[in-house]
Amino acid sequence: MSTDPDFTGPTTENLVFDAAEAQRRRRGSTLVRIGDHLKREWQLYAMLLPTILWLIIFLYKPMYGLQIAFKDYSIFRGVADSPWIGLEHFNTLFNNDQFLRAVKNTVIISFYSLLFGFPMPILLALMFNEVLNQTFKKSAQTIVYLPHFISSVIIAGIVITAFSPSAGIVNTVLGWLGIDSIYFLTKPEWFRPIFVGTGIWQEAGFQSIVYLAAIAGVSPTLYESAVVDGASRWQMMWKITVPSIMPTIIIMLIIRIGNILEVSFEMIILLYQPATYETADVVNTFIYRQGLQGGQYDFAAAAGLFNAVVAFVLVMTANTISKRYSRTSLW
Amino acid sequence: MRKLVLPLAILGTTALTAPAFADDHLRIVDDPVELTIHMHWPRAQGYEVPKTGEPYPVELKARELTGVSLEDATAGKNSTDSLEAMNLLIAQGNMPDIVGGHLIKQPVNEYGPQGAFVPLNDLVEEHAPNIKAFWDSHPGLKEAISAYDGNYYYIPYLPDGKYGRAWFIRQDWLDVLGLEQPQNVDELYDVLVAFRDQDPNGNGVKDEIPYFARQWEEVNRLLTLWDARSSGSDTYHDFYVNDEGKLVHPYAQDAYRTALSNVAKWYAEGLIDPEIYTRGSSSRDYLLGENLGGMTHDWFASTSGYNSALADAVEGFNFIPFLPPESAGGVRMEEHRRIPIKPDGWAISYTAEDPVTVVKYFDFWFSEEGRLLSNFGVEGKTWDMIDGEPIFKPEVLNSDSPINSQMYLEGAQIQRGYWQDYRYEWQWTSEAARKGIELYDTEDLLIEQFLGVALNKEEQTVYDRYWPSIRTYMLERQQAWVLGSGDVVSDWDAYIETLNDMGYEEVIEILNTAYARQYG
Repeated sequence: MSTDPDFTGPTTENLVFDAAEAQRRRRGSTLVRIGDHLKREWQLYAMLLPTILWLIIFLYKPMYGLQIAFKDYSIFRGVADSPWIGLEHFNTLFNNDQFLRAVKNTVIISFYSLLFGFPMPILLALMFNEVLNQTFKKSAQTIVYLPHFISSVIIAGIVITAFSPSAGIVNTVLGWLGIDSIYFLTKPEWFRPIFVGTGIWQEAGFQSIVYLAAIAGVSPTLYESAVVDGASRWQMMWKITVPSIMPTIIIMLIIRIGNILEVSFEMIILLYQPATYETADVVNTFIYRQGLQGGQYDFAAAAGLFNAVVAFVLVMTANTISKRYSRTSLW
Repeated sequence: MRKLVLPLAILGTTALTAPAFADDHLRIVDDPVELTIHMHWPRAQGYEVPKTGEPYPVELKARELTGVSLEDATAGKNSTDSLEAMNLLIAQGNMPDIVGGHLIKQPVNEYGPQGAFVPLNDLVEEHAPNIKAFWDSHPGLKEAISAYDGNYYYIPYLPDGKYGRAWFIRQDWLDVLGLEQPQNVDELYDVLVAFRDQDPNGNGVKDEIPYFARQWEEVNRLLTLWDARSSGSDTYHDFYVNDEGKLVHPYAQDAYRTALSNVAKWYAEGLIDPEIYTRGSSSRDYLLGENLGGMTHDWFASTSGYNSALADAVEGFNFIPFLPPESAGGVRMEEHRRIPIKPDGWAISYTAEDPVTVVKYFDFWFSEEGRLLSNFGVEGKTWDMIDGEPIFKPEVLNSDSPINSQMYLEGAQIQRGYWQDYRYEWQWTSEAARKGIELYDTEDLLIEQFLGVALNKEEQTVYDRYWPSIRTYMLERQQAWVLGSGDVVSDWDAYIETLNDMGYEEVIEILNTAYARQYG
């Protein structure tokens, strides 16, 4: 730090360090020190407490129940008294072709959602940022946020109606173009585009809020100096806005990758048919049909645990790669 | 109630035969007893009048008659999913004396043998003469609700009445086109083609949907027209007992191959709603209301109701039940019927201190007075006995609210273990439906139902391992064939081979072992 290696006088840094050292020496045991620390900072800990309790009650305590994935679980006997059966549920799972198909579908659908769905809110946020007319900006934002607040059941109803072969708007337009109507929701090849498209329509607007907030945090001085340098709006967007919000983008991407197996399965249940299982059946719908409908909680827990482990590995990998190449990471 | 107790206790020793206490023969306990109950079913989550939390009038009457009062202790009241509520209740561990409601058969038969519920065989034999008499007069039903250990653990809700769904057709369309009601599958084909081509709704547009259904599964009902089956019970895609008395699945039979290829042909020709798989539960409202639908397979009562509901909206609207057309093999068959025994009812949990009192209480509802009370509500309040028949009061019959909804508020027709009385429903069945039921009664249309088997632990494991996947595969192929991707006739051998690879034979084997054990 210092350019002069011979300088030995008391810097502020050294003074602070000495004071802390002296204080530490005056104190007694670790316990006393922790006590003092708590007394001094208790407000901060009080604010932390609810979140910690929430984590313990809703996330850590339920982990105790994960053991039923390795047990022959009976709700009457309880978690502790149900007999262990080792990896039998996992065996059943991996010997099931439909499970493997569901894993494949999950990855493909998630990958498409990521590929087409992830850039959308960023583009939207950048576009909103460039809109000068405030009234237009506000109303456009409201319109794209709206679908987020509509329940999935209604969204599915809208989709089914829109793609209906007789009355749907899509087939009506196709009809004008002289194309025969297509019964989209029973065609396996159409399921993924419809599902991914619906997801984008429903969520892209709302997700753009995060990026808008990040853009709002970019220092105006950067733009001012760019204007002085004669930069165009296009250049400012690519050279200032995008790099400035890159950390946000990376974090969002890592989180997205962690959720890659969490396809919004309630939407799939509402939209799929046996005729489209081939491309539509994902791990969660498989668990729902096999496990929960039949009350097989242990089996469903095994499939859920598998899901969680894969998600964990994905987050770790994404985080490590990001840390190495962009120095932005979750932890 | 309590007022009654004191004089009873005084007189009890000397004057038990006093005619002044005519109700006394139904009394179960001398001192009032309070039992707790879990009662979770679609119309109410709790054993009390929904919203107000008052005790049911029927419950108050039952207290007066029996001395037993039920206190509500229902779990999972914030969910309408009864199975979920039941699981919650069992997981909590602190179970009330009586556990009742919707879909209790599976949990009761699974956890009963583990000790969660009291087996009823001996208790009923010794202490419940009315229930015993019911079992004796209805052979096979007790076996149908038994668990794999041979005991039964709940007293079911026993529906009355024979018919459920029927074939309905737009008689006014037939009249416009000068056609007769189709009497066999070939005539039906011609009628549906005419519906499609000859503009029976007269709007000049070819927009008629000849056959439609609220549940896509009802498209499979057409399979019976070519002598195949779609299900063995009132649950879709269920197993059935074939002529050799063996349990098989309808979608693995040769008859299915021919029948489904015909259904696919009808679908391709536009005789079946092209949107049958996605139109959903409002399709009946929509297609009838818009004067588009020609024929369906649906419930007698609710479907007949459209005749009055749409009388003004659609001119000449006349949607009536007609006899099932003769199949290609010459059989008239109505595959759907009311199941005689429901997976709903009530059971005694292991926490009940005095199961004998509880079973006597269950038995009360099978006595003459109890049965009337559970079906019609309190005498003098909602109904009167006229010429030996329970008849609803005019204000009940003419109310804006349906009779069943009124009964649910009284505490009658709720899913306790009771024997329904069809006279309850007949009184408010529409004229069109009554005519249809009389028509169906002229022929022997109904077939025996498969009432389910109880699997033991090992069998259940085999079933769980193979069946859900097989079922998924069957339905996938079925829809694909109907929609025209692939051809059932040419794909058949590969299909059967895949089913066998997936474990179809194993499932059939364990089911038949269990079936023989249970009903043999």
